[in-house]
Amino acid sequence: MKIPELYNYLAEFLSPAINPLKLEKGANKDYYLWLDWTEAAALYPKLAEDGFGLIGLFGVEGFRGYQGLNLLYIFEKRNYSGTLVIIRRADSPVSSIAAIFPSACYFEREIRDGYGCEFENAFDRRRLFLHETYPANFHPLANSFKNQPLSLPAGVEDEALYPFKKISGEGVYEVGVGPVHAGIIEPGHFRFSAIGEPILNLEVRLFYTHRGLEKLAMGKDIDFGLKIAEGISGDESAANTYAYSSAVEHICSSRPPRRAEQLRLILLEMERLYSHLADLSGMLTDVGYPVGAASLSALREELMRWNKRLTGSRFLKGIIAPGGLLKDIPGELITELADYLYAFEGRFSEQVEKALAKTSVVDRFETTGIVNNRLLIPLNITGVTARASGEAIDTRLNQPYGFYPELSFKPPVLPEGDVMARFRVRLSEVQTSLGLILKTAAKLSAGEYAIPLKPVNGYSLILVESPRGQSLHWLWLRDGKIERYKVRTASYCNWQAIEHAVLGDIIPDFPLINKSLNLSYAGTDL
Amino acid sequence: MPEQTCEVFAVKNVLNNMFGPKICKQMPFGDAEFDKLGVALKSEINTIFGRSLAIRALDSGSDNSAEIELNNLSNPYYDVERFGISFVASPRHADILIVTGAVTQNMAIAVRKTFDAMPSPKLVIALGDDACSGGIASGGYGVLGGVDKILPVNLKIPGNPPEPAQIINSLLGLMQSLRKK
Repeated sequence: MKIPELYNYLAEFLSPAINPLKLEKGANKDYYLWLDWTEAAALYPKLAEDGFGLIGLFGVEGFRGYQGLNLLYIFEKRNYSGTLVIIRRADSPVSSIAAIFPSACYFEREIRDGYGCEFENAFDRRRLFLHETYPANFHPLANSFKNQPLSLPAGVEDEALYPFKKISGEGVYEVGVGPVHAGIIEPGHFRFSAIGEPILNLEVRLFYTHRGLEKLAMGKDIDFGLKIAEGISGDESAANTYAYSSAVEHICSSRPPRRAEQLRLILLEMERLYSHLADLSGMLTDVGYPVGAASLSALREELMRWNKRLTGSRFLKGIIAPGGLLKDIPGELITELADYLYAFEGRFSEQVEKALAKTSVVDRFETTGIVNNRLLIPLNITGVTARASGEAIDTRLNQPYGFYPELSFKPPVLPEGDVMARFRVRLSEVQTSLGLILKTAAKLSAGEYAIPLKPVNGYSLILVESPRGQSLHWLWLRDGKIERYKVRTASYCNWQAIEHAVLGDIIPDFPLINKSLNLSYAGTDL
Repeated sequence: MPEQTCEVFAVKNVLNNMFGPKICKQMPFGDAEFDKLGVALKSEINTIFGRSLAIRALDSGSDNSAEIELNNLSNPYYDVERFGISFVASPRHADILIVTGAVTQNMAIAVRKTFDAMPSPKLVIALGDDACSGGIASGGYGVLGGVDKILPVNLKIPGNPPEPAQIINSLLGLMQSLRKK
């Protein structure tokens, strides 16, 4: 399937109001458009009306000759390859666009915390990644702040200072959960308002694991940037190191060798496999079907042991790097992996078929946690969640990269949007990933596994399909040093789906819905 | 199926469940090396903690890979409950707090409160490179550093992240050192 180029579409879409010659091509298929605020303000509603989605919005200082803060608005039109980046200077009052593109709400709050830039008419001006423990007027992403450890006063109670939405009425009560949860899981706070058992409102507060990774990257060399990409989210290491490496390669205008691209595809799909297996197993745990959960978690352990054999790391860390791979994976090992995966499919299918034959499982899965299709573009919801709500989108196909264009596959799509649909989409994706690995293993080329890169100056935007959905990486290098490394993982946007998905369901179904959406805290908090 | 056959079938099934042999398929996994570690750990736990050890896991700013390995300890390959180890939901039930990740500014209060909620005597383990020393995040505004910046740490288990067998091995070492005290 040939994906039409966004550039050709944009040329027609923008004229006559904006001269399409103003579009400047970036290192990948990212097209930059510098606009002043009046031009930009006139364009946003048109973009929304035409089905464009806002997939990223972030600030960069000192970019392309303007020393102050530039705002980069990233748009994607589904099923067109390429992205539109609108850049405006924050030298005059900036208006919030959250009413046109609701996904902007988190982004704008993030920029406000990071740079102190106020958005006029923003309906939510609460802090985002800087909790109340940080002092007022502290804006860590601004170049004027030199990164250093802070000694902050102990004992600031976030709870008291962060206004959650109050729901009142007879019989309405609040349940607060977190940041420390009962299981072995990352921290976050959930504030439920319930009436009886059904959930009336849910507000999620995140960023407890905010480590300041974006600031840490500034001024560092390319090797350190790779460590940061690897540490974004432990079970997304392959996707994030791939995106980072690909950004460096695009900036250097070089392509990794064919063998490296093939091995990378195998690693990316291994990551999807072990991630999906964990979710499928976790969802069965949450509905009280431990037989299936245990069987799937055993299969998952086998995959993690394979990761270790292939790369030395159960989490595929320390393998993908700019230029290719840090070490080769022998062909015989890939053949052995293919034999293993060939047998894996039957063992996997047997377990999920058994699980789906249990009425107690089906009863809990069906009609639970529905994500409405109309939310997908406005909130920029991607990945399994989008495909289980009827949207045939997959970055591997829409924005083809690496070795994917040489393989043909179709994303599974289901219309229901409930937990069952997400379970079924995941299990078909397991089968698709197995197929992709087997096909690639059969074609594995001989040759180099990496090429040396000579870093130059430049910037590039990369989109990848991690197991959780589409992740966006924007990297700007100057003299071999990182000026800005912006990461927006799939979870960052997908988190916003849960506040809608749980409404009307009962609180005991929340863990199941949460598991079915597989949201990363570390990947959101950075 | 005619009605009567149906009933006969049901009765047979019930009788079989009650009186028939209980067959457990031979588990295709099991790792002699790991089991040896586990048995040694169990005997230490028997001596020091009177049969069982309750662990509370706490993420103070990890990339989630350490949590995944802690969860993996309960999968059928490791199944550490066999060795008297349980992961508990409340710090009030815990003997040991395992902390993963560098301590972020945003989590510092919750980390202290969790530790304070545990009954004494209590032990703290820092699990993973970030928890041991702050890792890649150290030196920045977002983290205080390793766990020992705010809690008394009894054991550091390095690794990015440490693997299940390493975790159990380190726990064994900790138990042995406690017994000698």
